Amino acid sequence: MIDLALLQDVLQEPELIDWEWLKENFWEDIVPAVQGHIFLSVISVAVALVIALPVGILSARYRKIYPPVTFVTGILYSIPSLALFAILISIPGVAIGPTPVIIALVAYSLLILIRNTVAGLDAVPPETIDAAKGMGLTGRQILLRVELPLALPIIVAGIRIATVTIIGIATIGAYISGGGLGALIFDGINRQFPTMIIAGAVLATLMAIIADLLLLGVERYLRPWARARRA
Amino acid sequence: MDKILAVFARPDFLEKLREHIVLSVVALLVAIAIALPVALLVRNTRLGAAIAINIGNVGRAVPSLAILALALPLLGIGFKAALVALTALAIPPILINTSTGLREVRQEIIDAARGMGLSESQILTRIQLPIAAPVIFAGIRTSAVQTVASATLATFIGAGGLGDLIVEGLQRRGPEILLAGAFSVALLAIITEIGFGWLERAFTPKGLKIAQKRR
Amino acid sequence: MKNRTKMIRAVPLLLAASALVLAVACGNVGGSGDSDSGGGPTITVGSKNFTEQYILGNMYAQALEANGFSAETKLDLGSEQIADKALQNGQIDLYPEYTGTSLVAIVPYKGDPAKLNSPKATYEAAKKLYAKRDPADTMLTPAPFNNTYGIFVRKPVAEEKGITNLDQLAKESKDLTFISYSEFQNRSDGYPNMQDNYPALDFGKIEIVNQLGLRYTGLENGEGDVGVGFTTDGQLTSDQLVVMEDPKSIWPFYYPAPVVRSDVLEKHPKIEGILNSVNSKLDVDTMRELNGKVDLEQEDPEDVAKEFLEKEGIVK
Repeated sequence: MIDLALLQDVLQEPELIDWEWLKENFWEDIVPAVQGHIFLSVISVAVALVIALPVGILSARYRKIYPPVTFVTGILYSIPSLALFAILISIPGVAIGPTPVIIALVAYSLLILIRNTVAGLDAVPPETIDAAKGMGLTGRQILLRVELPLALPIIVAGIRIATVTIIGIATIGAYISGGGLGALIFDGINRQFPTMIIAGAVLATLMAIIADLLLLGVERYLRPWARARRA
Repeated sequence: MDKILAVFARPDFLEKLREHIVLSVVALLVAIAIALPVALLVRNTRLGAAIAINIGNVGRAVPSLAILALALPLLGIGFKAALVALTALAIPPILINTSTGLREVRQEIIDAARGMGLSESQILTRIQLPIAAPVIFAGIRTSAVQTVASATLATFIGAGGLGDLIVEGLQRRGPEILLAGAFSVALLAIITEIGFGWLERAFTPKGLKIAQKRR
Repeated sequence: MKNRTKMIRAVPLLLAASALVLAVACGNVGGSGDSDSGGGPTITVGSKNFTEQYILGNMYAQALEANGFSAETKLDLGSEQIADKALQNGQIDLYPEYTGTSLVAIVPYKGDPAKLNSPKATYEAAKKLYAKRDPADTMLTPAPFNNTYGIFVRKPVAEEKGITNLDQLAKESKDLTFISYSEFQNRSDGYPNMQDNYPALDFGKIEIVNQLGLRYTGLENGEGDVGVGFTTDGQLTSDQLVVMEDPKSIWPFYYPAPVVRSDVLEKHPKIEGILNSVNSKLDVDTMRELNGKVDLEQEDPEDVAKEFLEKEGIVK
């Protein structure tokens, strides 16, 4: 199925990665791409959290709104990323560039963030809440000092998945002029220049993996029973 | 609205739909054929399972476009290259879920089975797999939906699929073409999600279903 | 409350980390914005995302810089539609479009652009319709060459079947595989146009590859026999490809012409002269050569543009 001869041919090709080009264009092309990508990802996660956390908390409290919330965010999640980008820029007022990309990235991550917020809050043992009530804490204090901290590991797990997904999909945003590492990939495809493709793809992959591992570390740090086992 | 329907009537629409489905199905099948045996092989060794799960976790973080784009300089354009890339993307969820699912079977049950004189393969087929089945199927379902979505990007390496319509809609002033493509893929993804959901329920042993309900 | 202490300790750490990350990221935001220090009013030059456009965009930007403007570039606009939207939104001030393309894809031209029988007529029709838009645009004088569709055949195939023009190609097409792209297949001036004029056309197989460069790759790999590109593509200098002649002249004229928003042009009328000085130095062979430097020799479009402008004395 795979043309082994072609593969061997290509791997032996000395021109696959042009290190000269990489050195020359590091500050001009590669660094801005990395910066743009970090920008897109961080802003998207932040905005998504600002929306998802309150919605999640409300959904955990008032169960009736949870199914419609899941439904809407689920629909948003199932629209293929390229399509959502394209639809957004077809709307008359919307400018091309990072903005529609960020809007789409936020839309994608709402489902997982809301779901994990609800799951995290659900996992708080009712006895703990009762004990807090017994100690005289108000509803708000219970939320902030008891429920959220205990729900944190699961919420962070959701943030981790959302972040990795966002870093991945942000690469496609370059197609509508959103910048980021996808720009290197698409430019490389258009110019038949493998070095750019490889640079963009490898860097995007590394960024996603690093983010994943970092947040995994945070997640594990926050899980009390895991720490207890280590001690 | 009828302009969108007109796109479905185009002769090349069915062709693209076919390409998209074939890419997704073949990638998924090959991924299952690779990930399942590997996960089964390492199920009883703690280190092996840990490695499998870690490779899976790393693999899950890789952006779809990156793998598809990397296939380009290595494998050229077209269907075959996209297939290899999509297969690679489809493996992680299956690998992770199969490994974790098998590891979740409580040791006491396995010990009891050994005590009753069951062979390793009998333990696997009669105990571990049935118990792990829902988790394994959840992994396959996740992988399937993800593959259908990622196949949209195959258009960027000349491999066809419904992504072609989306790109075309962007290149010409054709919102109806774009919407037709977007709608088709979304629908395909939803059908995949629901279809595999049924499969999952069909393969969950009755006893487990009762236990799940009790929980 | 062990978790509470942890969370309180974690928060300033996370905030610091995020601030650091944002600081790094805010060094450069969004697309390929390129801010040079030419002083003077800022003009944003856009371009679509294939090689000829990168080169033209860079040339326009550098020429403007050399003449008292400060040029920013946005050279990653994925298609006519995206570029046009950016233009009308004010996100860019000008970009290189093609006369024929604008009639087919952008302005509401009611006739068949292929029937306009001179480059001048094509330009005039486009210019008139651009001026009627809101906000109005001005299509400046085109460069003196035609960048039309090029149907090319792999040399061994062309020689074996003895085909040199589209008529002959149509007759042999049943045994051949055509590598095309979605837009071409469905655009009125594309494949349908070919079929109307050369009715024998009926390719055995049509493969859709949406990226220009990839179509050439596909042909090189032997995945197809015939492909469609543009007559100024650098790849066409290869002796492995034969460009088919078009005895019936079925295509509209696609002369590259910068499209500027009229309000920008009014404020800075000098732009017209500067861009004209660049365009007047171009022809098919020159463009093909410049394109080839990027696509075949992997040079940077910015450098290729600079070299050319220096050679022609437009830039020191």
